[in-house]
Amino acid sequence: MSTTVILQESDVQVGYDTHQEHSHHESFITKYVFSQDHKMIGKQFLITGMIWAIIGGFFSVIFRLQLGYPESTFPWLEDLLGHWAKGGKLQPEFYYALVTMHGTILVFFVLTAGLSGTFANFLIPLQIGARDMASPLLNMLSYWFFFSASIVMMSSLFVQTGPASGGWTIYPPLSALGDASSGSKIGMDLWLASMAMFIVSQLLAGLNYISTILNLRTKGMSMTRMPLTIWALFFTAVLGVLSFPVLLSGAILLLFDRNLGTSFFLSDIVVNGKILPNEGGSAILFQHLFWFLGHPEVYIIILPAMGISSEVLSVNSRKPIFGYMAMVGSLFAIAILAFLVWAHHMFVTGLNPFLGAFFVLLTLLIAVPSAIKVFNWLTTLWRGNIRFTPAMLYAIGFVSMFISGGLTGIFLGNSSLDIHLHDTYFIIAHFHIVMGVAGFFGMYAGVYHWFPKMYGRFLNNTMGYIHFWVTLIGAYLIFWPMHYEGLAGMPRRYYDFSGWESFKMFAGLNQFISFISILVFAAQLLFVFNFVYSIFKGRKVTTQNPWKANTLEWTTPIRPGHGNWEGEIPEVYRGAYDYGKDGRDFIPQTEQIGENESHH
Amino acid sequence: MSAEFLTQEITFHPEHDETTKPIWRTFWILSLLTGIELTIGLIIYNIHKGDHPNTSLVLAFKGMVCILTLAKAYYIVAVFMHLGSELRNMIMTIVVPLGLFVWFIIAFLWDGNSWKNLRNEYNGMPPSQQLEKPAQKAPAAIEKGAKD
Amino acid sequence: MSTIAVQQGTKWWSGGRSPFNANYGKVMMWYFLMSDAFTFGAFLISYGTIRFSVNHWVDPNHVFNSFPFAGHTNLPLAFVSLMTFILIASSVTMVLAVHEGHKMNRAGVEKYMLMTIIGGIAFLSCQAWEWTHMLTGQHPVLVDGVVEYWNTTVAHNPFGPEVAYTGTDPLFIGKEIATPGPIAFGSYFFEITGFHGFHVFSGVIINIVMYLKTKMKHFELRGHYEMIEKAGLYWHFVDLVWVFVFLCFYLI
Repeated sequence: MSTTVILQESDVQVGYDTHQEHSHHESFITKYVFSQDHKMIGKQFLITGMIWAIIGGFFSVIFRLQLGYPESTFPWLEDLLGHWAKGGKLQPEFYYALVTMHGTILVFFVLTAGLSGTFANFLIPLQIGARDMASPLLNMLSYWFFFSASIVMMSSLFVQTGPASGGWTIYPPLSALGDASSGSKIGMDLWLASMAMFIVSQLLAGLNYISTILNLRTKGMSMTRMPLTIWALFFTAVLGVLSFPVLLSGAILLLFDRNLGTSFFLSDIVVNGKILPNEGGSAILFQHLFWFLGHPEVYIIILPAMGISSEVLSVNSRKPIFGYMAMVGSLFAIAILAFLVWAHHMFVTGLNPFLGAFFVLLTLLIAVPSAIKVFNWLTTLWRGNIRFTPAMLYAIGFVSMFISGGLTGIFLGNSSLDIHLHDTYFIIAHFHIVMGVAGFFGMYAGVYHWFPKMYGRFLNNTMGYIHFWVTLIGAYLIFWPMHYEGLAGMPRRYYDFSGWESFKMFAGLNQFISFISILVFAAQLLFVFNFVYSIFKGRKVTTQNPWKANTLEWTTPIRPGHGNWEGEIPEVYRGAYDYGKDGRDFIPQTEQIGENESHH
Repeated sequence: MSAEFLTQEITFHPEHDETTKPIWRTFWILSLLTGIELTIGLIIYNIHKGDHPNTSLVLAFKGMVCILTLAKAYYIVAVFMHLGSELRNMIMTIVVPLGLFVWFIIAFLWDGNSWKNLRNEYNGMPPSQQLEKPAQKAPAAIEKGAKD
Repeated sequence: MSTIAVQQGTKWWSGGRSPFNANYGKVMMWYFLMSDAFTFGAFLISYGTIRFSVNHWVDPNHVFNSFPFAGHTNLPLAFVSLMTFILIASSVTMVLAVHEGHKMNRAGVEKYMLMTIIGGIAFLSCQAWEWTHMLTGQHPVLVDGVVEYWNTTVAHNPFGPEVAYTGTDPLFIGKEIATPGPIAFGSYFFEITGFHGFHVFSGVIINIVMYLKTKMKHFELRGHYEMIEKAGLYWHFVDLVWVFVFLCFYLI
């Protein structure tokens, strides 16, 4: 019996507690490459995401050049892209490929993996008081599956027929028939292969986040004492775990249609006058499957941004977040509704209109929890003792973007209006503001706020302010005019508008938008420079808690090792938002409740 | 008492049934339910063999099979997977998200039914607007088509 | 201290412990299975949607009516009953293995794991037979007024609605003959049973690994058989999916 007991103890140690002892003799490979430390994996996600963001952003600059200056040629484009830009003019096929890759990269690789991958990994163990993720091994695998997905997607850019070009939503038949377009050939297969690996990565990550948050909270960290970042990341993980499998199913069926002659999504198709034998399938079925993931997916993007902004707003207003439980409840409501509204993307596809009516109702319900969140953010700011750090500016910018983009969502949720606005630039403006830019703002808020914890140095503030103001004003200048273009009926996904009499009046506006987008892209490069520069040369962090925040990550050493806390994991006695209470600026979560303490 | 394995996550060592009685009882229940299902399946088969199958009767039997299947699923999850003896917290986090299937199923099937109605309606269109349907190709022809 | 007293007196959500009194591995396995349920759910719901969208569907009793070594005897539902029974039986042996694991009885775990593995392999063999039968079995079908003999593949099948034969082939004069069936029938059948079979296959692999680890006394030295429990969860899930596949393809 005695041997058994000894072995049990070692099992407990390996399973849970003492990663710290290993951290002293780590090689370069185990520390920076195949690292199992959640902080390093978070940074890996962040940096991979940033590389993808540069590529995806650059693609948008190229196709904006085409949209803004359809008559001009750019000889340097031919040097860069070869036969895809013959004579310095972007070819239509490659225009579609660029748009597709821009969407895929930004939605999945940057704003899903780069945003929730970074902050879930970095913040969950630190903020709930755990040594690491529940399974560091699966966590590492999650990154490397993401990395492999990245490699495959990247390689699809270099195949002869070009990457997938059916739009990021890969609707069949364009994606199901190899003959449909040049991007429907090997590029589409690589897209599906890459996405399969990406889904595995998301599942491994999501399962890890959920079980870590549920099982490994430190003593006293009850669910209702968790920072809102953790709540948001928790719901994000739940959304991912329950919705990505449905995309996996759709992708598998699509692979069958492409390669084995099935007709899941194909029926009555005529190509070049030849009628295909496929019969009985439905392209709308794929859209249902896609959007069953696709809609939760946009909340996978926006929820972490909401959580980060809530935290940053409260810390930098020196006030408790207004209505903590309402914030949690509205996150929960949004997560539930995310699964019930997918078909509002499909009002004009031939969806049963009676069914559409239910989807309108459920869609408009989302306005309620969203409004609760917005009012709570604003009331958190109200009479706050606001510190305008770059992170805070980005958090406020997030709220601004979420409001302006969310309001147009109410327009689009009505099927009767959507019939007019569907597939126009109004949609482009709506989702870029509410999901793209807002997601990025949440991400930037997080990076500026937690950079000191990641690298032990601050990001440069001056560059941060320039970055913020150019991005905020630039984003509005780019996307605000698109509402007008969309209301005038200008359709999205068109290569060239100069041939239409009705859209000629927008030529100048399109040029303006393209010009601003180059400027905004340049500002993002400034951020990348700031990021790299500050890792090595930034101002050093000298105190443990530079933002005077309550949460647990600021009780670790300035540069925490693997295992996060040198001694015991601290115990938690209060919620994360005791700012400005009883005349005290802030009260960390680790401080016991005083005898005469008031209730907020 | 068997050897303990305690991590910080585990608060108390759960007590397990000493006998295998519940397992075998569940086995017999599952076999019985499957037997009833098969009987109903054969009844449906025989109704179909008749000249004018009563569709509502078939539908009722199919509904019964669905309910029996759910009962089987309940026994597998509750007894074989031991979910029934887990804490209530855990049961709820597993069972509640499955509720999403309700709307998932309703919306999909409803729309599928609507496609059928649309197809049936537009099959009555004037021939000038209809494309001629391709003849179903023989296997050999399909194989040849795939190689093209 | 009784279990119930512990349960009631504990603040399960207050941190420092699992709110489920379960190790993270088991929690992860459960949520993985839930996510997998959505994969299968999506497949089966797609299948249902397509079935709702067509006027005619294949009668499973006409397709699945044969039994190995029984020649052309019409035995609807017989073979699939055998498959279902094999899977349920292997589920029982799996849960018995978990039970022996709780009692730290290594020999018992080994015995029942071995039986479970054999059950899994038997199921896969049955499926292989059924697939072969469908891919090679030829049925007469009327295509453009000509009688052809078709097998069942992902792209076509001979189980469409029956019509009165008006041609000249003496074999069929005065008889009813089937027309080509809905393509989606074969597509979904092979796709979903294939995906389920892949799960059974990986389950068998997992079970073999667990069996070997048991044999090498890994779990005995570790002091618990939780890995067997997790493998068991996966195995039961495979059984659970089969219950629904059985319902969707064979019964209704």
